[in-house]
Amino acid sequence: MNTLKSIKFLTIFALFIGFTSCDDDDDTTPLLAVETELVSNLHAPQSGGQGQPISGVFSKFDFSTGTTTTSDTDWDIAFRGTSIIINGGVSLGTIDEPSRTSEAAVYISSGTMTSITDVDSSLFIQDSNSGYAITTGSGNGWYTYAGPPTHLITPTPGKILVFKTRDGKHAKVEILSYYQNAPVNPDAFVDATPYFTFNYVYQPNAGVTTF
Amino acid sequence: MNLNNKYFAIFFLLFFTSISFSQQTKEITSDSTKIESLDEVIITATRTLRQLSSLPLPAIIISKSDLNNSNSVRLNDILNEQTGLISVPDFGGGEGIQLQGLDSQYTLILVDGLPLVGRSAGTLDISRITIGNIKQIEVVKGASSSLYGSEALGGVINIITETPKSGFNGNANYRIGSFNTNDLSKTLNYKKKKLGITTFFNRYSSDGYDLNKDDDLQTVDPFRNYTLNAKVTYDFSDKTTLFVSGKYYTQNQDYIASLTLKGESDLNEWNTHVKLSHTYSKKWSSYFEFYTTRYKTKDYLDTNDGTRFSDSYYNQLLIRPEIRATYNPTEKSAFIGGIGFNHETLNRTYFIIQPEFNSPYAYLQYDGKLNEKLNLILGARFDSHNKYKSQFSPKAAARYEFNDKLSIKGSVGYGFKAPDFRQLYFDFTNATVGYTVLGYNAVATAIPKLEAQGEIANLIVPISEFENELNSENSISMNLGTDYKLSSELKFGINLFRNNIDDLIDTRIIANKTNGQNVFSYYNVNKVYTQGLEFNTTWKPISQLKITGGYQLLFAKDKAAEKEFKNGEVFARESTTSPAFQLKKEDYFGLYNRSRHMANLKVFYSIPKLKLNTNIRGTYRSKYGLFDSNGNTYLDRYDDFVDGYTIIDIAVNKTFYKNFELGLGIDNLFNFKDTQNISNIAGQIIYSKINIHF
Repeated sequence: MNTLKSIKFLTIFALFIGFTSCDDDDDTTPLLAVETELVSNLHAPQSGGQGQPISGVFSKFDFSTGTTTTSDTDWDIAFRGTSIIINGGVSLGTIDEPSRTSEAAVYISSGTMTSITDVDSSLFIQDSNSGYAITTGSGNGWYTYAGPPTHLITPTPGKILVFKTRDGKHAKVEILSYYQNAPVNPDAFVDATPYFTFNYVYQPNAGVTTF
Repeated sequence: MNLNNKYFAIFFLLFFTSISFSQQTKEITSDSTKIESLDEVIITATRTLRQLSSLPLPAIIISKSDLNNSNSVRLNDILNEQTGLISVPDFGGGEGIQLQGLDSQYTLILVDGLPLVGRSAGTLDISRITIGNIKQIEVVKGASSSLYGSEALGGVINIITETPKSGFNGNANYRIGSFNTNDLSKTLNYKKKKLGITTFFNRYSSDGYDLNKDDDLQTVDPFRNYTLNAKVTYDFSDKTTLFVSGKYYTQNQDYIASLTLKGESDLNEWNTHVKLSHTYSKKWSSYFEFYTTRYKTKDYLDTNDGTRFSDSYYNQLLIRPEIRATYNPTEKSAFIGGIGFNHETLNRTYFIIQPEFNSPYAYLQYDGKLNEKLNLILGARFDSHNKYKSQFSPKAAARYEFNDKLSIKGSVGYGFKAPDFRQLYFDFTNATVGYTVLGYNAVATAIPKLEAQGEIANLIVPISEFENELNSENSISMNLGTDYKLSSELKFGINLFRNNIDDLIDTRIIANKTNGQNVFSYYNVNKVYTQGLEFNTTWKPISQLKITGGYQLLFAKDKAAEKEFKNGEVFARESTTSPAFQLKKEDYFGLYNRSRHMANLKVFYSIPKLKLNTNIRGTYRSKYGLFDSNGNTYLDRYDDFVDGYTIIDIAVNKTFYKNFELGLGIDNLFNFKDTQNISNIAGQIIYSKINIHF
């Protein structure tokens, strides 16, 4: 509990520093406040798998509005099953996969939401025709698959997804759960998937690379 | 759990009180003179007969009387009660033994000095060994590859079986217990002049048990098995002896995979052992030994309509001729040396070839008393091999005796385990899930084949990485201990140990498949260590009472993981909805399935007047983790753990007339079970046994 408290405190402290430093830097045009949000139960179903071709419409998400969208262009990231794609780069060519219309990018950073405060633009990569920027498979990207006997898919702790959005802004994301209603002790045989619950911090000021 | 521990304490308290009462009454009639127990002799440590008490290596002996008094049936029952040993269920269904924190595949299991085979998934199932004809069990801890070659990384467990004794005699033993478990043993023994014969028969059957009533499957399906063993000794003269032994073991078990898939699994094992011993002079003697063993299993599954769903088989053969000689230049020094040859073949489903291993070897050992106080053992062995790198395994051990009461001993040894057939030649694709496991040597041919079939989406590890040989797993083990004999009644022993293991073989994903599954293969990666402390004590306050206690402290860790924790690269979250935080070095718990603390306490009490002996034995194991539950792939303090537990067994045996013995007992008195995590603890077992001998 103490750790939780101190993390909360640190978050607020970091945000405070962020605000004050922004104020100091730029008096004339005040910057927009950094947004910290929680998204719960973003449903991202897929069909196929287990040897069959995978299909299904990706659930798209837009950081600027903080909501899901069905727009063909105004989206930053999209979910389907355990796959997360970005609106930047080239389609892998799977069934129902949307074409990329912008220059969004991503990298996976090791740390916590509080410890990652700067964007390293040199690390950004995009989806390609040989694989997604957020690599798939257990231990490669955002999750760890436990295998038998639990078969749980757990977001790997300490994996922070750092995004450049389609309009040159930045966001950091920590995925918390793959199961509906983010149960404290998920049961892979009972709890429904794929329901993404994640925390994100959105820096709405274009070109600003700190959170 | 606390409740269980409380029971433990209360029970022992009661037991002690009752003993002290009976002791008071006893004292009046007590006229027994104290007899120093004869010093036990061990053969495993040096391959020569040695006094256990003067040995520079950490070793234990489980005597025939301990086996009898505790009414054990299978080998796993009794090994679990020894300090630092724990039997761990394997996903393949077997039960292997963990020793000094090393996995069961790193302990060599011998019967009369020769190895058992049949590690189909790495573990050698020790529950297939009956206690019925065992004379004593010897356990030597620390790497012993200098004498025994591959697999003797963590230590050696040698089961010494009965040999023909003078006269004509026999023994029958029957035990019936919970879960309709029946164990029947018969021994017939004859020896007169030159010829000795002993035959042994055992039948063991059980209805099995079911820990999880919610699913359709039993935890252990019904089974029955038979062991037959015959030994003949013939003394050509007092200098030349021939020994011939044959053993056959067969087991049949139901194999229920699901409601719709049912079948049977059969296991057959036999071995023959011929040994010709000759003594040339006081100084020289030699042994010629020829050993053959085959281990065969066969499983099938049928669907409900009777069509065959799957068939699998496993057929391993080992042939080993060996010649060895002992040379004793003086009373105080002994050399032993040997040369031999291992020929091993395996025919198995899911293998790319029928592999053949050929491995000649030679070893030499010196064991000498440099002076009254210092004993030194130096030994080394060389194993050549047609499929992997040759191994040189040295070992050194010394013991220094300060006086009659205090001594210190230390040993350093090299141990190795050759990659097994499976790690080299496996080519297995799971029919229902679709993942593939390839042996190291199978990768170069199997991957192009999968690629040609369009099954590979993405190759992660290039095939060129599999051009070199897979290394043997190897370790350097160190032991440093001291024995202190306060009096003839009270003894203590402490041993510090450390095993540094390199080139541990693990699996990794080498390619992604188009069906979303992965291809796995084996590689040398991890460096792990196990270290800790072992404490043993024996107290015999009066001749009728013996109390033994043991404790092991263990740290078993992966060095790379330890480094990652230290560098702050590992994270965890306390619940699924809280953000992740960085873990510290001390948050790393260690390897899976290792308990920090293990302890045992045993009290043996006999009342000679009533021809009665009774005992209570408790074993404790502290919490341990079976898998990572919070997604960072390591076991840390925020993961789910299996709670620690205590198991208490009690037994009472009484002899009637001269030749009958009746026994009653309860294993796992407080019916401890953990249906979720521990599949090899069935719960409380009540039994009775009868033993007749003539």
